[in-house]
Amino acid sequence: MSKSYLDAGETHCAIGHPKSVFWQWMLTVDHKRIGIMYAAVMFVFFFVAVFTAVLMRAELFYHGPQILDGDTFNQAFTLHGVIMIFLFIIPGIPAIFGNIVMPLMIGAKDVSFPRLNWFTFWLYIFGCIVALTSLFNFSITEGELVFNFADTGWTFYAPYSLNTGTNVVTTLVAAFILGMASILTGVNFLVTIHRLRAPGMDFFKMPLFVWGIYATAWIQLLATPVVGITLVLAIMEKYFGIGIFDPSRGGDPVLFQHLFWIYSHPAVYLMILPAFGIMSEIIPAFSRREIFGYRTIALSSASIAGIGYIVWGHHLFTSGMSDLAKTIFSFLTFFVAIPTGIKFYDWVATLYKGKIVLKSPMLWALGTIITFAIGGLTGVTIAMVGSDIHLQDTYYSVAHFHYAILGGVVFLLFAGMHYWFPLVTGKFYNEATAKVAFYLNFIGINVLWFPMFIAGYLGMPRRYFDYLPEFEIYHQVAGIGALILVAGLLLMFYNFISSWKSGEKAPHNPWGATTLEWHTETLPPILENHTKVPYVDFNPYEYHHGQPKVKFDYKTMQRID
Amino acid sequence: MATNTEVDYAREKKGYINILLGLLVLTAVTFIQPQLFLVEHNFAIQMLIGLAKAWLILMYYMHLKGEKLIGATVIFSVFLVIFFFVVVLLDVANFQFGENSHITSEATSAGKSVADRHH
Amino acid sequence: MGGHEYVPEIATDRNGVEHEVQGWQDDFFGGKLGFWLFMLTEVMMFGSMFLALTYYFTLHHADFINASSSLNRYLGGFNTVILLISALTMGLGLLEMRAGNVKKAKLMIWATIIFAVIFLGVKAVEWSAEYSHGIFLGLPALQGGGAESLPFGEIMFFGLYFTMTGLHGFHIIIGIGIMLWLLKRINAGKVTKDHYILHWNIALYWDLVHLIWVFVFPYFYMIGAGDITGGVGHGH
Repeated sequence: MSKSYLDAGETHCAIGHPKSVFWQWMLTVDHKRIGIMYAAVMFVFFFVAVFTAVLMRAELFYHGPQILDGDTFNQAFTLHGVIMIFLFIIPGIPAIFGNIVMPLMIGAKDVSFPRLNWFTFWLYIFGCIVALTSLFNFSITEGELVFNFADTGWTFYAPYSLNTGTNVVTTLVAAFILGMASILTGVNFLVTIHRLRAPGMDFFKMPLFVWGIYATAWIQLLATPVVGITLVLAIMEKYFGIGIFDPSRGGDPVLFQHLFWIYSHPAVYLMILPAFGIMSEIIPAFSRREIFGYRTIALSSASIAGIGYIVWGHHLFTSGMSDLAKTIFSFLTFFVAIPTGIKFYDWVATLYKGKIVLKSPMLWALGTIITFAIGGLTGVTIAMVGSDIHLQDTYYSVAHFHYAILGGVVFLLFAGMHYWFPLVTGKFYNEATAKVAFYLNFIGINVLWFPMFIAGYLGMPRRYFDYLPEFEIYHQVAGIGALILVAGLLLMFYNFISSWKSGEKAPHNPWGATTLEWHTETLPPILENHTKVPYVDFNPYEYHHGQPKVKFDYKTMQRID
Repeated sequence: MATNTEVDYAREKKGYINILLGLLVLTAVTFIQPQLFLVEHNFAIQMLIGLAKAWLILMYYMHLKGEKLIGATVIFSVFLVIFFFVVVLLDVANFQFGENSHITSEATSAGKSVADRHH
Repeated sequence: MGGHEYVPEIATDRNGVEHEVQGWQDDFFGGKLGFWLFMLTEVMMFGSMFLALTYYFTLHHADFINASSSLNRYLGGFNTVILLISALTMGLGLLEMRAGNVKKAKLMIWATIIFAVIFLGVKAVEWSAEYSHGIFLGLPALQGGGAESLPFGEIMFFGLYFTMTGLHGFHIIIGIGIMLWLLKRINAGKVTKDHYILHWNIALYWDLVHLIWVFVFPYFYMIGAGDITGGVGHGH
């Protein structure tokens, strides 16, 4: 039985050579183990944020106050947003699959800076702890226990964030630390992709997931510092009164919005680009043919990253920004739909005349084509200034970004989890359970969020804990959808966890895929990934009559086709 | 790939000193320009001098001359920052509510200037 | 101490040609690239602050010029020259290390540290002077709407002045710290004539700190120089 990277003793550590399994995990610099640890922590926080959402849906099921008062509701949606964005979706796919799969895909033995990778993981944990501290921030006011978590929304807009009595500063510090972790991951991945590709693998022989991670790393690197300094300035404003965002001293709250969204808009592309990369891996493998338009998909990832930097002002259409700026941003925003559309057309073209294998990873991918298309297209409707004036800050926007983030990024993360589950664990999950879980998720998201487009269009504002009776039906339908979605999530995770413990062993290259991460001798891979680094003189998706063209002798990693 | 090529110590040192002299000259110009020439465009000239100094530092002290990939990343980031500047300043320069806004109207934003205090 | 010398792997292609595999170990260019990428984040960060500064300069042009004229250009200029020379000493130190003169290299690093401390000292003098004139964070001049308040534009100027020079000074303190650490690593034999990526990157860091000051100095100190009011009278 050959060893895998999960076996005791099979790992490199940042400090020394510990004998205990516990310290081998705590000190490991192995990118595969680090990715798993990110996943474990991130999903715990994911479910905390899901629980907060369920709480809000419960409150909103009937109009009028039920279980939460207005202030607590504000804290609830702030918590939901802060956890989902900063602790879950921004580390997201890069932290999990960027770490586990990307080095395998380029034939490397690890990332360029493994010890930095280890440090970055623990920096992320430190950020999570600071975020938790802000969560468990209580005080006794007039004999009552008061929960002090920030109530500003995850966007921390000035001047309210400066004036609110709730604990904003700790949350800002947590976000800053988490941002640093994101930057360091970006640095590590950029250098890795530039330096450690196997001999012969030039940029246009890289798998599209690597292109996605590459484009994402550029956003992590250049956009995050802007929000980092914005948060620092907000903290300095609160403590030292520098005046920068405080109108009573001449500061302009619109400047805060500019600086905040200069990061936060590229951040959403940081979320979706790795997800699109996963789609580009699954579609060819489960159509048993080469992907259509490899080069255009690769370049579209780069374009989306580039265009993503220049459109942030569409979040400021109702802020008091000048008409000139509104026009510029609306015009530029439409362009980002083009490379996204190109990807969609290329994926669908790949399906055409392919031999479709409708297993669970493919179900998730196909489902996402539908849900993200809805998310993306509704984004185009609010890119128009005129319609955005009506729809901004209504449930229409909220439905748009949940379709795009939940129905795009998270669904593709789940697709990737199904696709790479045999790689990471060496086991198979239960396929029938996986299919049921998919359908519950898919039906759930649509029942939960589609009514919200209508409610928003009819005027239901976002972040409101109460509403007029005419909106009640939409909230009730959504509430049912939320329960279906949660059932699907729980079933899916139960499937993963129980299968990792006692699932059937996965055969070598179970999906018959072509990319390098599957060309290891055994599943899961050994510590050093491949027995030898191969010479890459082939394209990443070469299929011949539905079978992978490139075959290896795994002892020598020489091609034998 | 181990470390860099051998260093021609004397030549490099001479180069550094020359750049230092260039930077000192530019610093002197920074000081005398507001008294001497192009005073109406003070801000633009000062930034241009800064740019010249920055170019010398980047190319020679930071060894950017001859670095292809790293040079490209620097150029990309600088262009990004320039874009942010251009668009945000276009926005604020076309601020439509100047007379009524608390932060810019005469009534609320005036005060005792520091230039009128001591000195 | 020699320990595990890294031996790169070889990959053979189908024509039998051997290709050296770039590992993550012993990658000088990778170390350089990684640090440059990190420095780009500093460019974005200070760039955003300059953006905020220019934002308010656009809204309050005359106020900015008035406020600038009250800063001490000679102390600021002196600091500019100090930092300039310190960049030279740092570069010379690296040159000495690459030529194998470890003692001279350490001397140059110490010289850089001393210049950095002088810079901080002068900054402290400037800030104390401003404090004694009532211009400081938290003091009435920088609050809005009071009898002692500065005009809004000047409040923005000074708020960003203290923030940006403060953040710059913080980076100088960090620089001193990592230079002291560099000296430790040299003494431990980890930084040598043949393995100097750490020294290289720290020198780059110091050049970046200098680079930021190259723009901070004229923006704050020189725009109000030479009795220039930009064609506008005092006040608003």
